[in-house]
Amino acid sequence: MHRAKSYINSIDLSTVATFRALVEAIVPNTPALAVYGAEQTAGAVDLHIHEYMIWELDHSLSLFLGTHLTVVPLAAPTAQLLNAGAVQLVTSGRAQHAPNHAVWESSPYAALSPIDRIRVLAMLEQLDVDLGSLPPPYQYDGGIVRFMVDFLNRQTMFGNYSEWSAYGTTRLATPTERRLEYFPISWKQVGYPGVVPGYRALLGYKLTIVREGGESTIV
Amino acid sequence: MYDADVIVIGSGGGGAVAAKELAEAGLQVLVLEAGPWYGNKNWQNPNSERGGEWSSSYNDLDVALYKKLYNGYENNMNDGVSGVFRFGPADRRRTPWHRVMRQKGDIWQLSGVGGTTQHYWTQSPRAFPIAVDGIWPISYKELIPYYEKAEATLPVQFSPTTPKEELFYYGAKKAGWQLIPTLNVTTPGYRPNPNAILPTNEHLMDPNYSLEQLSHMEGCTLKGNCVNGCSVGPSVDKIAKRSTLVSYIPLALKTGNVAIRPNSFAIKILTEQDPKEGLRATGVQFRDTWTGEIGELHAKTVVMAAGCIESPRLWLNSGLPHNAWVGRGLTNHCFDWVSGVFDEKELMKVLGMPSVYPYAGHTSGARVDIPGTGIFQVSCLSPGLMSYLTYGFSEAGYNALNPPEPGAPWDIRGRVVGPQLKELMMNYTRTMTMLLLTDDETLYHNRVEVDPLLKDENGPIPVVYYTPSKKTLQRRDKLARYASETLKQAGAKTIIRSDTPFSFMLHIESTMRMGYVTDTNCEAMQVKRLFIADNSVHFNGIGGPNPTLTTQALATRTAEKIFNQYFA
Repeated sequence: MHRAKSYINSIDLSTVATFRALVEAIVPNTPALAVYGAEQTAGAVDLHIHEYMIWELDHSLSLFLGTHLTVVPLAAPTAQLLNAGAVQLVTSGRAQHAPNHAVWESSPYAALSPIDRIRVLAMLEQLDVDLGSLPPPYQYDGGIVRFMVDFLNRQTMFGNYSEWSAYGTTRLATPTERRLEYFPISWKQVGYPGVVPGYRALLGYKLTIVREGGESTIV
Repeated sequence: MYDADVIVIGSGGGGAVAAKELAEAGLQVLVLEAGPWYGNKNWQNPNSERGGEWSSSYNDLDVALYKKLYNGYENNMNDGVSGVFRFGPADRRRTPWHRVMRQKGDIWQLSGVGGTTQHYWTQSPRAFPIAVDGIWPISYKELIPYYEKAEATLPVQFSPTTPKEELFYYGAKKAGWQLIPTLNVTTPGYRPNPNAILPTNEHLMDPNYSLEQLSHMEGCTLKGNCVNGCSVGPSVDKIAKRSTLVSYIPLALKTGNVAIRPNSFAIKILTEQDPKEGLRATGVQFRDTWTGEIGELHAKTVVMAAGCIESPRLWLNSGLPHNAWVGRGLTNHCFDWVSGVFDEKELMKVLGMPSVYPYAGHTSGARVDIPGTGIFQVSCLSPGLMSYLTYGFSEAGYNALNPPEPGAPWDIRGRVVGPQLKELMMNYTRTMTMLLLTDDETLYHNRVEVDPLLKDENGPIPVVYYTPSKKTLQRRDKLARYASETLKQAGAKTIIRSDTPFSFMLHIESTMRMGYVTDTNCEAMQVKRLFIADNSVHFNGIGGPNPTLTTQALATRTAEKIFNQYFA
């Protein structure tokens, strides 16, 4: 069974489309970089980082509601946050490019050009939006909006440039069940040799602490 | 009626030290730790099964198990939501424990035996004397013997030089900084980091030994992933990077006087009114994170070492007496992160090598200290962590939408996204990155509170606020300029200043300040027999140097005070 597939099929299409659009704007597929090697074209969508973000947001918060500890999934409301931002960018006339109307219905955010998607993030983090029009838990809570926009950026990068995508078919399994299936493409892109037992990189010691009789001196 | 002489809450940078010192003095000590225990036979699958309850024997430590769990992969180890190293329950099917932050940033704290020292970079500098003398209620001189003891126990040694440190020294020297061969920093200058890492393996450069062989012997192999969990060494207590999991905890177990219970979240300090002492601590209520069962333990003294967020949370959730400074005065070194991208040609000229090799050597091996301002240190990381710290988060927004003003010493300020990010990341191996730690002004409004409505299974959850002062921001800006200059002098072509979010919480200190919440023995002024032994008891941010060693020195001293006051 393709475990990653069954997980992501359980997420609504609009949320998936919105997160695809987000991670593509941050780490795009770049055909022009193929001159530096074929692996350089792959972007976050190729590495399934939108799935990583959805998994992370749906597994990041539990609160005691009534008498029970309850997991509060955040991926869908966060997609709605981005979509609410996209609508406000377009209606306020600040979008640089016309949105793609074929996609607008399912995800206004995905309908924007990549740079306009970044504008939405900037607009949200500057709280240059009608906070009342945002979905809970973001509604009237600008601080949480700020925290989340920052999280979306750094977590996309951490997911993309870490080994996560190389967990392959196990990438959306419980973390203890994930198994590396190949060497991460993003590590190839940046020239990281991976986890190795050591490096013969010693160039000497500039100073040394010598301890005698409960006191130390420096040589 | 007592379960032990002392209960220690938390087994991280301070708690493990207090436990070892108290046990060596002959006291019976129980340690409660909220997170898992890695490398102990009683917990074979610590992230998916409950395992045992207690461990009190050095023979329970198991290096093969430790190495299996500490696999060095950055997402597996350091993902804040699902990683081995996270602030959350041992069961990785569950979510982490939440803290509310209504601003940009992240809290880099861990649960588990060894606490946040499991992924700290082992930097063990002493405080700047000028940040202590005449400011703290105790003098710097009084701390020195305890610094010496903690340094010898860990042990602390100056970092070896690898290419990135060589490049750092080259730039620092050209920028006019002098070498300061000292542990007591009173003048500005550069030096290797005093790190809690064993010296490099004596055979490291000998090709007759394979690297795989060397990684099972004693001594650092310059493996480069300190932050993702060091696994180099022949036994748990000889692992090269000296988190308290592998330094103080094995020593504590060797005394035969300590039992440690992981998976046990302290939820309440128990107290009673004593006719002579007044309100005093008598024990701890805790929750088993696997079963949800609540237990109670009693002792003659209690040491809180749950960290700068959880110690005040525990005080507040226990209904201990009101103190206006509990959770207040939070300092965070108001970090920044400045990077330089080098050309291969330039690197060949300076190093005779085509790369910075940011993944080799200690995660951070060299620093410039500037008393009164702060420090900056070379800090190279694996690519996922490096990308988010360098390009992924910022107080300044997006570089593309808001580029730096002309004449600024950096070419890029703030987040970088799109094709430009990928091009910059292609230069990862030729990028030197630096962490900046500011001498952070202690302000009453920076604080940890508990949310009036939101609760998790351990009680009302913490809310963290931090806004730096104008003075702190001026110092941070100065450090960013110094770091940029050092990178330029070293030959960097492009300088990137991340303008790190103010609430990137790595070095949280002083939320239970000595002199306000505790006396000079670190005993709570309003609750007898309740001591504090984590960063929260610091009076300030110690001027910018990394705080762990000072916590360890103070915990050593606090253990001595506890013994003398209640057990001598």
